[in-house]
Amino acid sequence: MSQDERKGFLERETTRREFLKLAGKGMAGAAVSVSFLSMLGFTHESEAVAAFALSQGVLIADRNRCTGCQRCELNCTSLNDGKVQPFISRVKVSRNYNYGVDGPKLSYWKEDGQYGNLLMTPETCKQCKDPACANACPMGAIIADPKTGARIVVKEDCVGCGSCTKACPWHLPTVDPETKKSSKCVLCGMCASNCPTSALNIIPWEDVKVAMIRRGYMLG
Amino acid sequence: MTKVGGWTGKILRVNLTNGKISTEDTIKYKDFIGGMGIGYKVMFDEVPAGTKAFDENNKIIFGAGPLTGSGAPCSSRTNITSLLPSNPYNAVSDSHMGGNFAAMMKYAGWDAIIVEGASSKPVWLRIEDDQVSLEDASAVWGQGIFKSTAEIASIIGNEASIAAIGQAGENMVNLSVIMNGTSHSAGGHGGVLGSKKLKAIAIKGTGAVHIAAHKYELLKLNEYMMKEIIGANNQHVVPRTPQPWAEYHNSGSRWLSRKGLYWGGAETPIETGENPPGDMKKVGFRTMKAVMDLGPVAEKYTIRMGGCQSCPIRCHSQLKVPHLEKYGLSPYVSNTCVGFSGPNGVMIKGVTDQFEEGDKSMMGKIVGAQLTDDYGVWCNYGLIGKDFKYAYNTGILKKVLPKEEYESIPWDKLEAGDPAFLLDFYRRIAFKEGELSHLGDGTYWIAQRWNYGDDFWHGNDYGVWSPLGFPKHHANESGSQVGALISCMFNRDAQCHSHMNFIGSGLPIAIQKEIAAEVWGSPDAIDEPANYTPMNEYKAKFAKWSIIRNCLHDSLTLCNWMWPMTVSPVMARNYRGDTALEAKFLSLITGEQISEEDLDLAGERIFTLHRALTVKQMGTIDMRTKHDVMNDWVYDVDPDKKAFTPGTIKMDRNDMQIALTMFYKEMGWDEKTGAPTKETLIRLGLQDVANELESLKLLP
Repeated sequence: MSQDERKGFLERETTRREFLKLAGKGMAGAAVSVSFLSMLGFTHESEAVAAFALSQGVLIADRNRCTGCQRCELNCTSLNDGKVQPFISRVKVSRNYNYGVDGPKLSYWKEDGQYGNLLMTPETCKQCKDPACANACPMGAIIADPKTGARIVVKEDCVGCGSCTKACPWHLPTVDPETKKSSKCVLCGMCASNCPTSALNIIPWEDVKVAMIRRGYMLG
Repeated sequence: MTKVGGWTGKILRVNLTNGKISTEDTIKYKDFIGGMGIGYKVMFDEVPAGTKAFDENNKIIFGAGPLTGSGAPCSSRTNITSLLPSNPYNAVSDSHMGGNFAAMMKYAGWDAIIVEGASSKPVWLRIEDDQVSLEDASAVWGQGIFKSTAEIASIIGNEASIAAIGQAGENMVNLSVIMNGTSHSAGGHGGVLGSKKLKAIAIKGTGAVHIAAHKYELLKLNEYMMKEIIGANNQHVVPRTPQPWAEYHNSGSRWLSRKGLYWGGAETPIETGENPPGDMKKVGFRTMKAVMDLGPVAEKYTIRMGGCQSCPIRCHSQLKVPHLEKYGLSPYVSNTCVGFSGPNGVMIKGVTDQFEEGDKSMMGKIVGAQLTDDYGVWCNYGLIGKDFKYAYNTGILKKVLPKEEYESIPWDKLEAGDPAFLLDFYRRIAFKEGELSHLGDGTYWIAQRWNYGDDFWHGNDYGVWSPLGFPKHHANESGSQVGALISCMFNRDAQCHSHMNFIGSGLPIAIQKEIAAEVWGSPDAIDEPANYTPMNEYKAKFAKWSIIRNCLHDSLTLCNWMWPMTVSPVMARNYRGDTALEAKFLSLITGEQISEEDLDLAGERIFTLHRALTVKQMGTIDMRTKHDVMNDWVYDVDPDKKAFTPGTIKMDRNDMQIALTMFYKEMGWDEKTGAPTKETLIRLGLQDVANELESLKLLP
């Protein structure tokens, strides 16, 4: 990724709300604290476990550009699974399509989703420094890819128990009901290069916490 | 069904009378591809002639096809087949919706859902992969589509795709819809679900559409289509404004993106920009249709564009217009084309600016869309406004409405151009309140009931195409005899865009004629706009091709508002598209070598089955004089001009009869009556259909 793109992500004039959306989902008004960050899957620097090499890249989504076409999910599974199956897509759009991440509420008119504020909620893997999915795997089947550092599922070792799904704060790794194997984002970039509105991009990895400190959203 | 790619191999059958839920093999319908084809076959085999739309014996089929959910661009269309209550014979028809529903149905493992019988109490159908159950819908019965969908999603889960009816469908209003995803509505069959007390179908699917070919082959084909073939909405392949990269531009094009035109309502406004062919990451910006449908004022309210699963062409505008709250409606609204203009057609005195200069068209359209999408009212492709206009302007309403009812209607709002009139109007339609609500019966029925005059049917002002009560929809104004023929062949407004996409592509007529020669055998298959020539056999071939591709798309299922890919935006291809692209996708996905000709034959089979169904339901083989008929304005418009002179779209009576004969000949139908012959039915593998028609004495 170019320096410009990286700069675009980290340095552009952006509201805190927008930044949090980029980090995963709309959480306007949520207090930014260390505990909040840890809820998002990022730990204190001091607690970071050095067992995993950092990922080189991270897939990010701009929800303002996401139109809900779900071609990312189709292309993701087409390339990685040789079949088309949005449920196991490593980027998630369709499950949040109608009502966002939190599901229908009485106030659905103004909540996330097609039946609400019309904003999609694309969810992408953060390639966490200290990946909860990998830490939870009883088989040690989630490892850092030697080339890219992406946290990947070694299919041969996966037993399909779903511990990774439960452990991930965004529940992104998904066990394929047909093969009983888990899958998660491998940073192949297929979704990004085929997104018809450029809503998805792979940028150099940066811990969200570090980025937030730099932007002055929290004190180091 | 042997495991091949594309199809799931299973069809779900739900009997609402006895609650029985069963599974069938798709193999029985393989010659009919899927979607529309499955729908017609089930209707022909299982629904007796003379059944009415709201009878318990009527069935309704939600059909997908082998390409649905496969990732092929524009492949999440649901085809819904049933008897159509607004048609005088309740003849068979299709309604369609995009959105996510059909793809989700495939992922749950179903190629189609056949719904039969009728429930004694309100129910909704719950589908989670192969777990299927009928659930109590009493809590949502009486609610609009939006609230019903939210309530049902709160039970089954927010990831479900839900198709529902509103109050209009529940109350068996003929003009009512089935809808998913806030703006993807299938017009005409909502009342059929209402008559069966089936409020909604909610689906969660975790499975796959399997692909037979190696994954790289499919990805390559997708990339080829995305880079070299696809244009903007309706496969318009030149931009609307001059752009440095483009050799041509056309003011009618739906390729609206340009520098300085924004999704202005996004948190950070996003420029649609110039999007030359080849850049896959910008295809979705091309169709900035909000400003085309709603006027320039809509730009700043447009949060984004949207549309259906798998489609890179985003043709549904998504707006936040805070003024909507003043009408008690959500400020968030989405729709496209006639989904906006149809409901607003009831504002027959126009709409005045309400909140700012130039918002008049937008406000009427978005208020109308929001109301009709929630109540689930269908506009009969805009004709409900014309029916109303005639009754109002001729004084019929004053005569037929009881005095008390007449005086309770806020006519002052209508006269003042205040879209708040629509709040009152559509409530009456959806709840069948009073005599006025019979406007929801549809054109044929209301014209009978209120005794409309010949000037309604045959005058230029109303655009009623057929004595069967449906409007023109890309008819003689689009491709002379070709559009006219297409508009005569169905039992509602033709929803065929195969010809329209080509004619409207924006390319110069000289290039269009070259392509016409390559695809249909002669440049004479098309005429210059409003400069028509007499009928010829190539026009008949073009009309046939257009319809059978339309039937194919609704069976595969692909969006006929984008497909077929007759042209391309790429100058290096000399703007040639790829009419074999459907066959290429199908071959890769199913693993069976299927040629363009094989597929066209299947389309012919499906369309001929539609014809057989119409013959059977109408009880006559005389399609020429009983069905394929146009109202007089088509021939009498522009009284000072002769047909086939520059500047008029008028048709000639004798010439249209020749056109019908040539078309019947192309289809292998009886040239006198237009009914399918025994030979043709057998040639298409429809021996059983021939036998049935023979036993009913309905073969020519």
